[in-house]
Amino acid sequence: MGRIEFLNVYKRYPSGFEALRDLSVVFEEGSMTFLTGHSGAGKTTCLKLLLCLDQPTHGEILVNGVNVSRLSARRLPHYRQNLGAVFQDHKLLAARSVFDNVALPLRVSGMREREVRRRVSAALNRVGLLERESLLPMQLSTGEQQRVGIARAVVSRPKVLLADEPTGNLDPELSADIMALFQGFNEVGATVIVASHDRGLIESLDNPVVELSHGMRVR
Amino acid sequence: MADSPKQGPWPRTSHRWGWWRGHWRVARDVFSLVSVRTGTSLLVWLLVGIALALPASLMLLQTNLSQLAADWGGGRPSVSVYMELGALNAAELAAQLERRAEVEAVALTTQEEALAEFTAYTGLGDALTGLERNPLPASLRLTFVADAGADALEAVAASMREAEGVADVVIERTWLTRINAISRLARSLGLVFGVLFGVGAVLVTATTVRFAIDSQLDELKVMKLVGASAGQLRRPFLYFGALYGAGGGLVAAMLVSLGLIVLEAPLLDLLGSFDQTLVLGGFDPVFVAALVGLGSALGMAGAMLAVRQRLAGLEVM
Repeated sequence: MGRIEFLNVYKRYPSGFEALRDLSVVFEEGSMTFLTGHSGAGKTTCLKLLLCLDQPTHGEILVNGVNVSRLSARRLPHYRQNLGAVFQDHKLLAARSVFDNVALPLRVSGMREREVRRRVSAALNRVGLLERESLLPMQLSTGEQQRVGIARAVVSRPKVLLADEPTGNLDPELSADIMALFQGFNEVGATVIVASHDRGLIESLDNPVVELSHGMRVR
Repeated sequence: MADSPKQGPWPRTSHRWGWWRGHWRVARDVFSLVSVRTGTSLLVWLLVGIALALPASLMLLQTNLSQLAADWGGGRPSVSVYMELGALNAAELAAQLERRAEVEAVALTTQEEALAEFTAYTGLGDALTGLERNPLPASLRLTFVADAGADALEAVAASMREAEGVADVVIERTWLTRINAISRLARSLGLVFGVLFGVGAVLVTATTVRFAIDSQLDELKVMKLVGASAGQLRRPFLYFGALYGAGGGLVAAMLVSLGLIVLEAPLLDLLGSFDQTLVLGGFDPVFVAALVGLGSALGMAGAMLAVRQRLAGLEVM
Protein backbone atom coordinates (compact mmCIF):
# COMPACT_ATOMS: atom_id res chain seq x y z
CA MET A 1 0.00 0.00 0.00
CA GLY A 2 1.65 3.26 1.02
CA ARG A 3 4.52 4.01 3.39
CA ILE A 4 5.19 7.70 3.55
CA GLU A 5 8.37 9.39 4.78
CA PHE A 6 9.18 13.06 5.09
CA LEU A 7 12.98 13.40 5.34
CA ASN A 8 14.34 16.77 6.50
CA VAL A 9 11.69 18.63 4.57
CA TYR A 10 11.76 22.41 4.38
CA LYS A 11 9.21 24.54 2.61
CA ARG A 12 9.74 28.26 2.22
CA TYR A 13 7.23 30.26 0.16
CA PRO A 14 8.32 33.12 -2.11
CA SER A 15 6.97 35.55 0.50
CA GLY A 16 9.66 34.26 2.85
CA PHE A 17 7.22 32.40 5.11
CA GLU A 18 8.70 29.11 6.26
CA ALA A 19 5.84 26.61 6.37
CA LEU A 20 7.95 23.55 7.20
CA ARG A 21 11.31 23.37 8.93
CA ASP A 22 13.36 20.21 8.95
CA LEU A 23 10.32 17.98 9.16
CA SER A 24 11.05 14.28 9.37
CA VAL A 25 8.19 11.90 9.95
CA VAL A 26 7.14 8.42 8.89
CA PHE A 27 3.55 7.38 8.23
CA GLU A 28 3.56 3.61 8.31
CA GLU A 29 1.81 1.57 5.67
CA GLY A 30 -1.80 0.91 6.62
CA SER A 31 -1.73 3.37 9.54
CA MET A 32 -4.19 6.12 10.37
CA THR A 33 -2.41 9.19 11.72
CA PHE A 34 -3.61 12.58 12.87
CA LEU A 35 -1.58 15.56 11.81
CA THR A 36 -2.36 18.35 14.20
CA GLY A 37 -1.19 21.81 15.17
CA HIS A 38 -2.37 25.38 15.29
CA SER A 39 -3.51 27.25 12.22
CA GLY A 40 -0.45 27.87 10.01
CA ALA A 41 1.56 25.09 11.65
CA GLY A 42 2.17 23.41 8.28
CA LYS A 43 -0.51 20.70 8.15
CA THR A 44 -1.98 21.74 4.81
CA THR A 45 1.51 22.28 3.38
CA CYS A 46 2.33 18.66 4.24
CA LEU A 47 -0.73 17.47 2.33
CA LYS A 48 0.01 19.76 -0.63
CA LEU A 49 3.52 18.38 -0.83
CA LEU A 50 2.20 14.83 -0.65
CA LEU A 51 -0.27 15.57 -3.46
CA CYS A 52 2.66 17.08 -5.41
CA LEU A 53 0.78 20.35 -5.78
CA ASP A 54 3.94 22.05 -4.55
CA GLN A 55 7.57 21.08 -4.10
CA PRO A 56 9.66 21.14 -0.95
CA THR A 57 12.44 23.71 -0.84
CA HIS A 58 14.69 21.04 0.59
CA GLY A 59 14.41 17.41 1.65
CA GLU A 60 12.67 14.35 0.30
CA ILE A 61 9.16 12.96 0.43
CA LEU A 62 9.22 9.24 -0.15
CA VAL A 63 6.17 7.15 -0.93
CA ASN A 64 7.00 3.45 -1.04
CA GLY A 65 10.62 4.56 -1.34
CA VAL A 66 10.05 6.81 -4.35
CA ASN A 67 10.82 10.52 -4.03
CA VAL A 68 7.49 11.82 -5.27
CA SER A 69 8.53 15.47 -5.22
CA ARG A 70 10.76 14.63 -8.19
CA LEU A 71 8.13 12.75 -10.18
CA SER A 72 7.90 13.83 -13.81
CA ALA A 73 4.73 15.52 -15.07
CA ARG A 74 4.00 12.34 -17.03
CA ARG A 75 3.96 10.17 -13.89
CA LEU A 76 2.11 12.59 -11.61
CA PRO A 77 -1.44 11.81 -12.84
CA HIS A 78 -1.09 8.09 -12.10
CA TYR A 79 0.41 8.88 -8.70
CA ARG A 80 -2.50 11.19 -7.84
CA GLN A 81 -5.05 8.65 -9.05
CA ASN A 82 -3.90 6.44 -6.21
CA LEU A 83 -4.34 9.14 -3.59
CA GLY A 84 -7.70 10.11 -2.19
CA ALA A 85 -8.12 13.61 -0.81
CA VAL A 86 -10.88 15.11 1.33
CA PHE A 87 -11.11 18.83 2.03
CA GLN A 88 -12.87 21.03 4.52
CA ASP A 89 -14.58 22.90 1.66
CA HIS A 90 -15.39 19.57 -0.06
CA LYS A 91 -14.31 20.83 -3.51
CA LEU A 92 -17.45 19.45 -5.14
CA LEU A 93 -18.56 20.53 -8.59
CA ALA A 94 -21.69 22.59 -8.10
CA ALA A 95 -23.16 21.93 -11.55
CA ARG A 96 -22.68 18.16 -11.42
CA SER A 97 -24.83 15.62 -9.65
CA VAL A 98 -23.65 13.71 -6.61
CA PHE A 99 -23.15 10.68 -8.86
CA ASP A 100 -21.03 12.60 -11.37
CA ASN A 101 -18.94 14.15 -8.61
CA VAL A 102 -18.11 10.76 -7.17
CA ALA A 103 -17.55 9.25 -10.63
CA LEU A 104 -15.00 11.90 -11.63
CA PRO A 105 -11.80 10.06 -10.54
CA LEU A 106 -12.97 6.86 -12.22
CA ARG A 107 -13.79 8.59 -15.48
CA VAL A 108 -10.44 10.39 -15.38
CA SER A 109 -8.76 6.99 -15.10
CA GLY A 110 -10.64 5.81 -18.21
CA MET A 111 -12.80 3.20 -16.50
CA ARG A 112 -15.75 1.63 -18.36
CA GLU A 113 -19.08 3.26 -17.60
CA ARG A 114 -20.64 0.04 -16.31
CA GLU A 115 -17.81 -0.39 -13.79
CA VAL A 116 -18.04 3.32 -12.91
CA ARG A 117 -21.72 2.90 -12.05
CA ARG A 118 -21.03 -0.16 -9.91
CA ARG A 119 -18.18 1.48 -7.99
CA VAL A 120 -19.95 4.80 -7.47
CA SER A 121 -23.07 3.08 -6.19
CA ALA A 122 -20.96 1.06 -3.76
CA ALA A 123 -19.13 4.17 -2.52
CA LEU A 124 -22.35 6.17 -2.11
CA ASN A 125 -23.96 3.25 -0.34
CA ARG A 126 -21.05 3.14 2.06
CA VAL A 127 -21.46 6.81 2.99
CA GLY A 128 -25.26 6.46 3.11
CA LEU A 129 -26.08 8.66 0.12
CA LEU A 130 -27.14 6.18 -2.53
CA GLU A 131 -30.65 7.61 -2.60
CA ARG A 132 -29.33 11.11 -3.25
CA GLU A 133 -27.10 10.38 -6.22
CA SER A 134 -29.08 12.49 -8.66
CA LEU A 135 -29.13 15.63 -6.49
CA LEU A 136 -26.81 18.59 -6.87
CA PRO A 137 -24.33 19.24 -4.02
CA MET A 138 -26.13 22.45 -3.05
CA GLN A 139 -29.24 20.40 -2.32
CA LEU A 140 -27.37 18.52 0.41
CA SER A 141 -26.49 19.48 3.98
CA THR A 142 -22.86 20.27 4.89
CA GLY A 143 -22.41 16.86 6.47
CA GLU A 144 -23.80 15.15 3.38
CA GLN A 145 -21.56 17.21 1.13
CA GLN A 146 -18.59 16.08 3.18
CA ARG A 147 -19.66 12.47 2.79
CA VAL A 148 -19.87 12.97 -0.99
CA GLY A 149 -16.31 14.31 -0.83
CA ILE A 150 -15.26 11.20 1.06
CA ALA A 151 -17.05 8.91 -1.40
CA ARG A 152 -15.19 10.63 -4.24
CA ALA A 153 -11.89 10.22 -2.38
CA VAL A 154 -12.31 6.50 -1.80
CA VAL A 155 -14.20 5.42 -4.92
CA SER A 156 -11.02 4.56 -6.79
CA ARG A 157 -9.77 2.53 -3.79
CA PRO A 158 -6.73 4.70 -3.18
CA LYS A 159 -3.68 3.46 -1.38
CA VAL A 160 -3.38 6.66 0.61
CA LEU A 161 -6.25 8.80 1.91
CA LEU A 162 -5.51 12.40 2.88
CA ALA A 163 -8.01 14.59 4.69
CA ASP A 164 -7.55 18.29 5.37
CA GLU A 165 -9.76 19.43 8.28
CA PRO A 166 -12.55 17.08 7.19
CA THR A 167 -14.69 17.87 10.24
CA GLY A 168 -14.04 21.59 10.31
CA ASN A 169 -17.65 22.63 9.73
CA LEU A 170 -19.38 19.69 11.35
CA ASP A 171 -20.94 19.13 14.75
CA PRO A 172 -19.38 16.48 17.07
CA GLU A 173 -21.85 13.77 16.14
CA LEU A 174 -21.28 14.18 12.40
CA SER A 175 -17.53 14.44 13.01
CA ALA A 176 -17.59 11.09 14.75
CA ASP A 177 -19.47 9.58 11.79
CA ILE A 178 -16.88 10.91 9.38
CA MET A 179 -14.03 9.55 11.49
CA ALA A 180 -15.74 6.17 11.58
CA LEU A 181 -15.75 6.19 7.79
CA PHE A 182 -12.01 6.96 7.70
CA GLN A 183 -11.34 4.17 10.18
CA GLY A 184 -13.34 1.81 7.98
CA PHE A 185 -11.15 2.63 4.97
CA ASN A 186 -8.04 2.33 7.11
CA GLU A 187 -9.13 -1.13 8.21
CA VAL A 188 -9.18 -2.31 4.59
CA GLY A 189 -5.56 -1.30 4.22
CA ALA A 190 -5.41 2.35 3.15
CA THR A 191 -2.85 4.63 4.79
CA VAL A 192 -4.88 7.52 6.19
CA ILE A 193 -3.55 10.94 7.22
CA VAL A 194 -6.05 13.32 8.78
CA ALA A 195 -4.98 16.93 9.28
CA SER A 196 -7.09 18.42 12.05
CA HIS A 197 -6.82 20.93 14.85
CA ASP A 198 -9.82 19.44 16.67
CA ARG A 199 -8.06 18.23 19.82
CA GLY A 200 -11.23 16.79 21.31
CA LEU A 201 -11.77 14.58 18.29
CA ILE A 202 -8.13 13.47 18.20
CA GLU A 203 -8.05 12.64 21.90
CA SER A 204 -11.23 10.61 21.53
CA LEU A 205 -9.51 8.21 19.14
CA ASP A 206 -6.55 5.99 19.74
CA ASN A 207 -4.50 6.81 16.66
CA PRO A 208 -0.91 8.04 16.28
CA VAL A 209 -0.59 11.82 16.36
CA VAL A 210 2.03 14.02 14.72
CA GLU A 211 1.91 17.56 16.05
CA LEU A 212 3.41 20.49 14.21
CA SER A 213 4.19 23.96 15.48
CA HIS A 214 5.57 26.68 13.24
CA GLY A 215 6.56 24.08 10.65
CA MET A 216 8.46 21.86 13.09
CA ARG A 217 7.45 18.54 14.59
CA VAL A 218 6.84 18.85 18.30
CA ARG A 219 5.23 15.45 18.95
CA MET B 1 18.59 18.90 -9.13
CA ALA B 2 18.06 15.15 -8.80
CA ASP B 3 16.76 13.12 -11.73
CA SER B 4 13.10 12.15 -11.88
CA PRO B 5 12.40 8.66 -10.52
CA LYS B 6 12.19 6.09 -13.31
CA GLN B 7 8.84 4.90 -11.99
CA GLY B 8 6.10 6.01 -9.64
CA PRO B 9 5.39 4.55 -6.21
CA TRP B 10 2.55 2.34 -7.44
CA PRO B 11 2.51 -0.35 -10.12
CA ARG B 12 1.34 1.04 -13.44
CA THR B 13 -2.26 0.20 -14.28
CA SER B 14 -4.44 1.31 -17.12
CA HIS B 15 -7.90 0.57 -18.41
CA ARG B 16 -8.24 -1.02 -21.83
CA TRP B 17 -9.46 1.56 -24.33
CA GLY B 18 -9.34 4.11 -21.52
CA TRP B 19 -7.76 6.79 -23.71
CA TRP B 20 -10.41 6.40 -26.42
CA ARG B 21 -13.16 6.25 -23.80
CA GLY B 22 -11.90 9.54 -22.40
CA HIS B 23 -12.05 11.14 -25.84
CA TRP B 24 -15.53 9.80 -26.44
CA ARG B 25 -16.79 11.19 -23.11
CA VAL B 26 -15.27 14.59 -23.76
CA ALA B 27 -16.56 14.74 -27.33
CA ARG B 28 -20.07 13.87 -26.14
CA ASP B 29 -19.94 16.48 -23.36
CA VAL B 30 -18.59 19.19 -25.65
CA PHE B 31 -21.16 18.51 -28.38
CA SER B 32 -23.91 18.71 -25.83
CA LEU B 33 -22.51 21.92 -24.31
CA VAL B 34 -22.07 23.60 -27.70
CA SER B 35 -25.63 22.71 -28.67
CA VAL B 36 -26.95 24.02 -25.36
CA ARG B 37 -25.10 27.34 -25.72
CA THR B 38 -26.75 28.00 -29.06
CA GLY B 39 -26.40 31.80 -29.00
CA THR B 40 -22.67 31.81 -28.24
CA SER B 41 -22.01 28.98 -30.67
CA LEU B 42 -23.84 30.70 -33.54
CA LEU B 43 -22.01 33.94 -32.90
CA VAL B 44 -18.61 32.25 -32.91
CA TRP B 45 -19.44 30.23 -36.02
CA LEU B 46 -20.53 33.39 -37.79
CA LEU B 47 -17.40 35.33 -36.78
CA VAL B 48 -15.06 32.53 -37.81
CA GLY B 49 -17.12 31.96 -40.96
CA ILE B 50 -16.83 35.58 -42.06
CA ALA B 51 -13.11 35.54 -41.31
CA LEU B 52 -12.65 32.49 -43.53
CA ALA B 53 -15.09 33.46 -46.29
CA LEU B 54 -13.15 36.43 -47.69
CA PRO B 55 -9.81 34.69 -48.30
CA ALA B 56 -11.68 31.61 -49.52
CA SER B 57 -13.59 33.75 -52.02
CA LEU B 58 -10.37 35.33 -53.26
CA MET B 59 -8.85 31.90 -53.66
CA LEU B 60 -11.86 30.77 -55.64
CA LEU B 61 -11.66 33.92 -57.77
CA GLN B 62 -8.00 33.24 -58.49
CA THR B 63 -8.73 29.63 -59.46
CA ASN B 64 -11.48 30.70 -61.85
CA LEU B 65 -9.47 33.54 -63.37
CA SER B 66 -6.60 31.16 -64.05
CA GLN B 67 -9.03 28.77 -65.69
CA LEU B 68 -10.56 31.60 -67.68
CA ALA B 69 -7.14 32.71 -68.88
CA ALA B 70 -6.31 29.15 -69.87
CA ASP B 71 -9.60 28.74 -71.74
CA TRP B 72 -9.39 32.12 -73.48
CA GLY B 73 -7.76 31.29 -76.84
CA GLY B 74 -6.26 28.21 -75.35
CA GLY B 75 -4.60 30.44 -72.82
CA ARG B 76 -2.18 31.64 -75.47
CA PRO B 77 -1.80 35.04 -77.03
CA SER B 78 -2.87 35.39 -80.66
CA VAL B 79 -2.18 37.75 -83.52
CA SER B 80 -4.82 39.24 -85.79
CA VAL B 81 -3.73 40.35 -89.24
CA TYR B 82 -6.10 42.78 -90.99
CA MET B 83 -5.75 42.94 -94.78
CA GLU B 84 -6.18 46.02 -96.90
CA LEU B 85 -9.58 46.30 -98.51
CA GLY B 86 -9.58 44.39 -101.74
CA ALA B 87 -6.31 42.57 -101.03
CA LEU B 88 -6.39 39.20 -102.73
CA ASN B 89 -3.44 37.48 -101.13
CA ALA B 90 -5.04 36.63 -97.77
CA ALA B 91 -5.31 32.91 -98.52
CA GLU B 92 -1.74 32.80 -99.83
CA LEU B 93 -0.50 34.58 -96.70
CA ALA B 94 -2.44 32.11 -94.54
CA ALA B 95 -0.81 29.19 -96.30
CA GLN B 96 2.64 30.75 -95.74
CA LEU B 97 1.98 31.30 -92.07
CA GLU B 98 0.71 27.76 -91.51
CA ARG B 99 4.11 26.47 -92.58
CA ARG B 100 5.86 28.34 -89.74
CA ALA B 101 6.75 26.12 -86.81
CA GLU B 102 5.66 28.56 -84.09
CA VAL B 103 2.22 29.03 -85.64
CA GLU B 104 -0.28 26.41 -84.58
CA ALA B 105 -3.28 27.47 -86.62
CA VAL B 106 -4.43 30.20 -88.95
CA ALA B 107 -8.09 31.10 -89.28
CA LEU B 108 -8.98 33.09 -92.40
CA THR B 109 -12.03 35.31 -92.35
CA THR B 110 -12.82 36.61 -95.81
CA GLN B 111 -14.49 39.99 -96.38
CA GLU B 112 -17.79 38.22 -97.06
CA GLU B 113 -17.53 36.17 -93.90
CA ALA B 114 -16.67 39.29 -91.90
CA LEU B 115 -19.76 41.02 -93.23
CA ALA B 116 -21.93 38.00 -92.46
CA GLU B 117 -20.61 37.85 -88.86
CA PHE B 118 -21.10 41.57 -88.42
CA THR B 119 -24.67 41.32 -89.64
CA ALA B 120 -25.39 38.33 -87.43
CA TYR B 121 -23.94 39.84 -84.23
CA THR B 122 -25.03 43.47 -84.58
CA GLY B 123 -28.13 43.30 -86.74
CA LEU B 124 -26.77 46.38 -88.54
CA GLY B 125 -26.12 44.61 -91.83
CA ASP B 126 -28.72 46.72 -93.59
CA ALA B 127 -26.67 49.84 -92.86
CA LEU B 128 -23.78 48.37 -94.84
CA THR B 129 -25.79 47.15 -97.81
CA GLY B 130 -26.19 50.74 -99.00
CA LEU B 131 -22.46 51.13 -99.40
CA GLU B 132 -20.81 50.56 -102.74
CA ARG B 133 -18.41 48.00 -101.43
CA ASN B 134 -17.89 45.87 -98.32
CA PRO B 135 -15.97 48.08 -95.81
CA LEU B 136 -14.86 45.14 -93.65
CA PRO B 137 -11.41 43.73 -94.36
CA ALA B 138 -10.43 40.09 -94.59
CA SER B 139 -8.42 38.99 -91.57
CA LEU B 140 -6.22 36.20 -90.34
CA ARG B 141 -6.26 35.03 -86.74
CA LEU B 142 -3.06 33.28 -85.76
CA THR B 143 -2.71 31.08 -82.69
CA PHE B 144 0.71 29.97 -81.55
CA VAL B 145 2.16 26.74 -80.21
CA ALA B 146 2.33 26.48 -76.42
CA ASP B 147 6.07 27.14 -76.11
CA ALA B 148 6.15 30.10 -78.50
CA GLY B 149 7.75 32.98 -76.64
CA ALA B 150 7.05 36.70 -76.87
CA ASP B 151 10.01 37.11 -79.28
CA ALA B 152 8.54 34.63 -81.76
CA LEU B 153 5.22 36.46 -81.52
CA GLU B 154 6.85 39.80 -82.20
CA ALA B 155 8.87 38.35 -85.10
CA VAL B 156 5.78 36.96 -86.83
CA ALA B 157 3.93 40.23 -86.22
CA ALA B 158 6.84 42.24 -87.64
CA SER B 159 7.08 40.06 -90.75
CA MET B 160 3.33 40.46 -91.30
CA ARG B 161 3.57 44.23 -91.07
CA GLU B 162 6.11 44.08 -93.92
CA ALA B 163 3.95 41.75 -96.01
CA GLU B 164 2.11 43.03 -99.05
CA GLY B 165 -1.61 43.78 -98.64
CA VAL B 166 -1.48 43.91 -94.81
CA ALA B 167 -3.12 46.96 -93.27
CA ASP B 168 -2.64 46.27 -89.54
CA VAL B 169 -1.31 43.66 -87.14
CA VAL B 170 -2.66 43.40 -83.59
CA ILE B 171 -1.13 41.23 -80.89
CA GLU B 172 -4.13 40.27 -78.81
CA ARG B 173 -2.82 39.74 -75.35
CA THR B 174 -4.10 42.76 -73.47
CA TRP B 175 -7.03 40.93 -71.91
CA LEU B 176 -4.98 37.92 -71.05
CA THR B 177 -2.38 40.12 -69.42
CA ARG B 178 -5.10 41.84 -67.42
CA ILE B 179 -6.75 38.62 -66.39
CA ASN B 180 -3.42 37.17 -65.32
CA ALA B 181 -2.62 40.36 -63.40
CA ILE B 182 -6.01 40.26 -61.65
CA SER B 183 -5.47 36.57 -60.93
CA ARG B 184 -2.08 37.31 -59.35
CA LEU B 185 -3.60 40.18 -57.37
CA ALA B 186 -6.42 37.93 -56.14
CA ARG B 187 -3.86 35.34 -55.11
CA SER B 188 -1.76 37.90 -53.21
CA LEU B 189 -4.82 39.45 -51.58
CA GLY B 190 -6.03 35.97 -50.70
CA LEU B 191 -2.75 35.24 -48.97
CA VAL B 192 -2.67 38.56 -47.10
CA PHE B 193 -6.32 38.35 -46.05
CA GLY B 194 -5.90 34.66 -45.35
CA VAL B 195 -3.17 35.36 -42.83
CA LEU B 196 -4.94 38.38 -41.30
CA PHE B 197 -8.35 36.78 -41.05
CA GLY B 198 -6.81 33.46 -40.02
CA VAL B 199 -5.22 35.23 -37.06
CA GLY B 200 -8.62 36.83 -36.44
CA ALA B 201 -10.29 33.41 -36.40
CA VAL B 202 -7.66 32.11 -33.98
CA LEU B 203 -8.19 35.06 -31.65
CA VAL B 204 -11.99 34.76 -31.76
CA THR B 205 -11.78 31.10 -30.79
CA ALA B 206 -9.09 31.76 -28.21
CA THR B 207 -11.26 34.36 -26.51
CA THR B 208 -14.32 32.12 -26.53
CA VAL B 209 -12.39 29.14 -25.21
CA ARG B 210 -10.82 31.35 -22.58
CA PHE B 211 -14.27 32.22 -21.28
CA ALA B 212 -15.15 28.53 -21.30
CA ILE B 213 -12.01 27.75 -19.28
CA ASP B 214 -12.75 30.50 -16.79
CA SER B 215 -16.24 29.15 -16.26
CA GLN B 216 -14.82 25.69 -15.55
CA LEU B 217 -11.77 26.52 -13.46
CA ASP B 218 -13.19 24.83 -10.35
CA GLU B 219 -13.84 21.64 -12.28
CA LEU B 220 -10.34 21.73 -13.76
CA LYS B 221 -8.79 22.11 -10.31
CA VAL B 222 -10.69 19.11 -9.00
CA MET B 223 -9.80 17.10 -12.10
CA LYS B 224 -6.13 17.88 -11.55
CA LEU B 225 -6.51 16.84 -7.94
CA VAL B 226 -7.98 13.45 -8.80
CA GLY B 227 -5.21 12.70 -11.28
CA ALA B 228 -6.18 14.16 -14.64
CA SER B 229 -3.19 14.58 -16.92
CA ALA B 230 -2.40 17.88 -18.66
CA GLY B 231 -3.78 16.35 -21.84
CA GLN B 232 -7.06 15.48 -20.14
CA LEU B 233 -7.37 19.03 -18.82
CA ARG B 234 -6.72 20.46 -22.28
CA ARG B 235 -8.91 18.01 -24.17
CA PRO B 236 -12.40 19.51 -23.78
CA PHE B 237 -11.16 22.92 -24.82
CA LEU B 238 -9.37 21.61 -27.89
CA TYR B 239 -12.62 19.91 -28.85
CA PHE B 240 -14.38 23.24 -28.25
CA GLY B 241 -11.93 25.03 -30.52
CA ALA B 242 -12.12 22.37 -33.22
CA LEU B 243 -15.91 22.40 -33.16
CA TYR B 244 -16.14 26.18 -33.26
CA GLY B 245 -13.60 26.28 -36.10
CA ALA B 246 -15.25 23.50 -38.10
CA GLY B 247 -18.63 25.19 -37.71
CA GLY B 248 -17.03 28.44 -38.84
CA GLY B 249 -15.65 26.63 -41.91
CA LEU B 250 -19.13 25.40 -42.79
CA VAL B 251 -20.55 28.90 -42.38
CA ALA B 252 -17.74 30.21 -44.62
CA ALA B 253 -18.66 27.62 -47.28
CA MET B 254 -22.28 28.75 -47.08
CA LEU B 255 -21.30 32.41 -47.42
CA VAL B 256 -19.07 31.70 -50.42
CA SER B 257 -21.84 29.66 -52.00
CA LEU B 258 -24.27 32.52 -51.43
CA GLY B 259 -21.78 34.94 -53.01
CA LEU B 260 -21.43 32.68 -56.06
CA ILE B 261 -25.19 32.50 -56.52
CA VAL B 262 -25.42 36.31 -56.39
CA LEU B 263 -22.46 36.88 -58.73
CA GLU B 264 -22.98 34.10 -61.25
CA ALA B 265 -25.54 35.84 -63.50
CA PRO B 266 -23.69 39.19 -63.86
CA LEU B 267 -20.41 37.34 -64.47
CA LEU B 268 -21.95 35.23 -67.20
CA ASP B 269 -23.38 38.39 -68.83
CA LEU B 270 -19.99 40.08 -68.71
CA LEU B 271 -18.12 37.14 -70.18
CA GLY B 272 -20.83 36.59 -72.77
CA SER B 273 -20.03 40.04 -74.15
CA PHE B 274 -16.53 38.70 -74.87
CA ASP B 275 -17.96 35.59 -76.47
CA GLN B 276 -16.78 33.56 -73.50
CA THR B 277 -18.65 31.26 -71.19
CA LEU B 278 -17.78 30.48 -67.60
CA VAL B 279 -18.29 27.34 -65.63
CA LEU B 280 -17.51 28.32 -62.05
CA GLY B 281 -15.05 25.80 -60.74
CA GLY B 282 -13.33 25.13 -57.46
CA PHE B 283 -16.41 25.09 -55.23
CA ASP B 284 -16.61 21.37 -54.74
CA PRO B 285 -16.69 18.91 -51.81
CA VAL B 286 -12.90 19.09 -51.54
CA PHE B 287 -13.06 22.88 -51.20
CA VAL B 288 -15.76 22.64 -48.50
CA ALA B 289 -13.84 19.91 -46.67
CA ALA B 290 -10.67 22.03 -46.87
CA LEU B 291 -12.56 25.02 -45.41
CA VAL B 292 -13.96 22.91 -42.57
CA GLY B 293 -10.55 21.36 -41.94
CA LEU B 294 -8.80 24.72 -42.00
CA GLY B 295 -11.42 26.21 -39.69
CA SER B 296 -11.03 23.28 -37.35
CA ALA B 297 -7.23 23.63 -37.31
CA LEU B 298 -7.46 27.39 -36.66
CA GLY B 299 -10.00 26.75 -33.91
CA MET B 300 -7.71 24.24 -32.26
CA ALA B 301 -4.82 26.69 -32.54
CA GLY B 302 -6.95 29.33 -30.79
CA ALA B 303 -7.95 26.85 -28.12
CA MET B 304 -4.33 25.85 -27.60
CA LEU B 305 -3.43 29.51 -27.16
CA ALA B 306 -6.14 29.98 -24.53
CA VAL B 307 -5.28 26.73 -22.77
CA ARG B 308 -1.60 27.66 -22.57
CA GLN B 309 -2.48 30.99 -21.03
CA ARG B 310 -5.07 29.79 -18.56
CA LEU B 311 -3.96 26.34 -17.49
CA ALA B 312 -0.28 27.00 -16.93
CA GLY B 313 0.33 26.97 -13.20
CA LEU B 314 -3.26 26.16 -12.27
CA GLU B 315 -3.32 26.44 -8.47
CA VAL B 316 -5.43 23.73 -6.89
CA MET B 317 -5.16 24.46 -3.15
